[in-house]
Amino acid sequence: MNLSRIWVILRKDLALGPRSPIFLYAVALPVVMTAVFQFAFGSLFEPAPRMAIVDDGDSQITAEVSEMEGIELTVLDGADDLRRGVEANDYDVGLVLPAGFDDAVRSGEQPPLEMYVGGESLASNRMILSVTTIDLVRQVEGTTPPIDVELVESGDAGLPISVRLVPVLVMFALFVAGAFVPASSMVDEKIRGTFTAILVTPARITEVLTAKATLGVLLAFAMSLATLLLNDAVGSNWPHLLAVILIGAVFLALLGLVIGSLAKDGAMLFTIVKSSGILIFGPVIFYLFPEWPEWIARLFPTYWVIDPIWRVSVLGEGLGDVWVSLAVAVGIGALLMLLVVRLSRRMLAHTTAAS
Amino acid sequence: MTRRASRPAIIASIVGKDFREFSRDGLYIFLSILGLVFFAATYYLVPDSVDETLAIGVHQSDMDEVFDQFESGSDGLELVQYASAEELAAAVTDGDEVMVGIAFPDRFVDSAAAGEQPTVTVYTDAAVPPEISGAVTSMVREIAYALTGDGLPVTEPAEESIVLGTDRAGDQASLRDLMLPMLVFFVLMIETFALSSLIASEILNRTVTAVLVTPARVSDFLTAKTIYGTILTGGQGVLLLAVLQAFTLANVGILLATVLLGAVLFTGIGMITGAAGKDFFSTLFYNMLFVLPLMIPAFSVLFPGTAAAWVQAMPSYPIIDTLNEAISYGAGWSDVAGSLVVALAWAVAVYVVGLLVLRRKVRTL
Repeated sequence: MNLSRIWVILRKDLALGPRSPIFLYAVALPVVMTAVFQFAFGSLFEPAPRMAIVDDGDSQITAEVSEMEGIELTVLDGADDLRRGVEANDYDVGLVLPAGFDDAVRSGEQPPLEMYVGGESLASNRMILSVTTIDLVRQVEGTTPPIDVELVESGDAGLPISVRLVPVLVMFALFVAGAFVPASSMVDEKIRGTFTAILVTPARITEVLTAKATLGVLLAFAMSLATLLLNDAVGSNWPHLLAVILIGAVFLALLGLVIGSLAKDGAMLFTIVKSSGILIFGPVIFYLFPEWPEWIARLFPTYWVIDPIWRVSVLGEGLGDVWVSLAVAVGIGALLMLLVVRLSRRMLAHTTAAS
Repeated sequence: MTRRASRPAIIASIVGKDFREFSRDGLYIFLSILGLVFFAATYYLVPDSVDETLAIGVHQSDMDEVFDQFESGSDGLELVQYASAEELAAAVTDGDEVMVGIAFPDRFVDSAAAGEQPTVTVYTDAAVPPEISGAVTSMVREIAYALTGDGLPVTEPAEESIVLGTDRAGDQASLRDLMLPMLVFFVLMIETFALSSLIASEILNRTVTAVLVTPARVSDFLTAKTIYGTILTGGQGVLLLAVLQAFTLANVGILLATVLLGAVLFTGIGMITGAAGKDFFSTLFYNMLFVLPLMIPAFSVLFPGTAAAWVQAMPSYPIIDTLNEAISYGAGWSDVAGSLVVALAWAVAVYVVGLLVLRRKVRTL
């Protein structure tokens, strides 16, 4: 294997790469995915009860709800908008507070409580919002509760959803930059015929594949790190973090070589990506739902690369804690390497036969 | 002696060629089936029920009657009784059965009625969201108000008049139900990449030119690609729906019509991107440009409430909306007629544009 030839091929890919939309995609992905997942999808996994209020009298209730943690408040201008929104399930509960409502409560007039519940709202959300509303009305009334309540908290608050989304984002970055970029580069060269052209030079197929894999490793390493930085999840153990990311990047680049070797054209490439998607992304779902049994996640090969990254970057562990996972990842990587060698021989035979 | 081939026969032979190519590639077939299996596996991995009940542990010694009334009147509440406050605290710390609990002191009813201001302890796990611990605290106070005969300071509305829309309490669409339309949509969408890649390679390799030196016309080629693309994309969508047992007597017509419209829409997009791309990467780029924004409505069904107006204006929205309404909420023809008309309009518009773009490209070769 000649390093200078590998460098020439890699330099060509690095020079032409930025013109490719896949490069653009791989580079833009960490930012776009972080924005989409953190801002849009966070609420999907931990939905807060949603309340709408029409307040015609500057009620104390509106002010109290707006300061409450865990309740999503929308203040609307009209009761018709509120009823439409509640019916369309834009809000779980809607409350109409007419002018003078607080004064009527304080003076003991028992004003009607105009409250609407969305038919599609969860029963638990209805209960939470109803009982909270009644309690707030009691506060407006100004009576002293006949009991004292002591709150005793125990256990660990667990990790917020914004942190549990990190493995999803890192796996996207690793896959697109580490596997999809080299695989699509190989497919592009096969379609254009430049693969054959390279092989009639002194370059050997192993050198071409090493250059493609190096491209994937460099890009995956940079993009995974960028993703962790964007999500403020780099931890404090930098050397160990860089080591686990590097192993992950190499693993995904080898996977990219397997995909690129198998796919003879674009249609095949997408079919492989479609069919292998759950194998690659399966384990990251288990970080979103920590109550799911972890042994299922361990059945997925990519678990063994994402788990060390998770434990070092988020849980603050070191290489000594994650060496078993890394050893399994290296073992699977070695099997992938053998598969790449076998597929490269087959690819070379096909290319030679075709030319 | 020569026999003039009919137009349908020519189209059938081009479609046949495409399917023969498809079927000869064992790996392609295997991976296509594997893809469907994995989509099905994803579907079954997602929870099929919605837990809309709040489980609360309770320790009390003189309030059986109160809690019987309370539980029967609250749909979203499940009360689990514990013999002692210590057992309750341990159960909350353990977190398996309940994550929040209320310990009432002995003689609570008498003590509260006598105005002795007893103290009730609310145990919560730190992972319990603040709105839940707040609501439980409020509930405890309200129970005490009720025991002391202190009525509500407002007049409550009648229950039947406050629920707006179809009451789905206890019958919510699960994440699995909501996921199915999205999976079908993804199958349709991903086949766009495969179709555009096929069209682009036929243009790049001049297979089109080779086909057109036979009695086949450009229109035959385009019709054949339409049929092939629609069957390739729609067929897999229908297969997935069948495998996941989504068809019922009531929705089978709606689902087939919607998948057909989706397949035509994505075939049109495949034609545009396949014709526009000069090579593999540019075809991919154009695909992403079209397809990624079209994914947004697919995710919108996972969120409660009305999608934003700009999401509803997207060509893929009526397709995902119809699939969602028919599968998750059992909508009938009259419920989805409006969406289907909009989907038809988008499918026809995008397909016609795709057809014109591809025809222009083929004629310039």
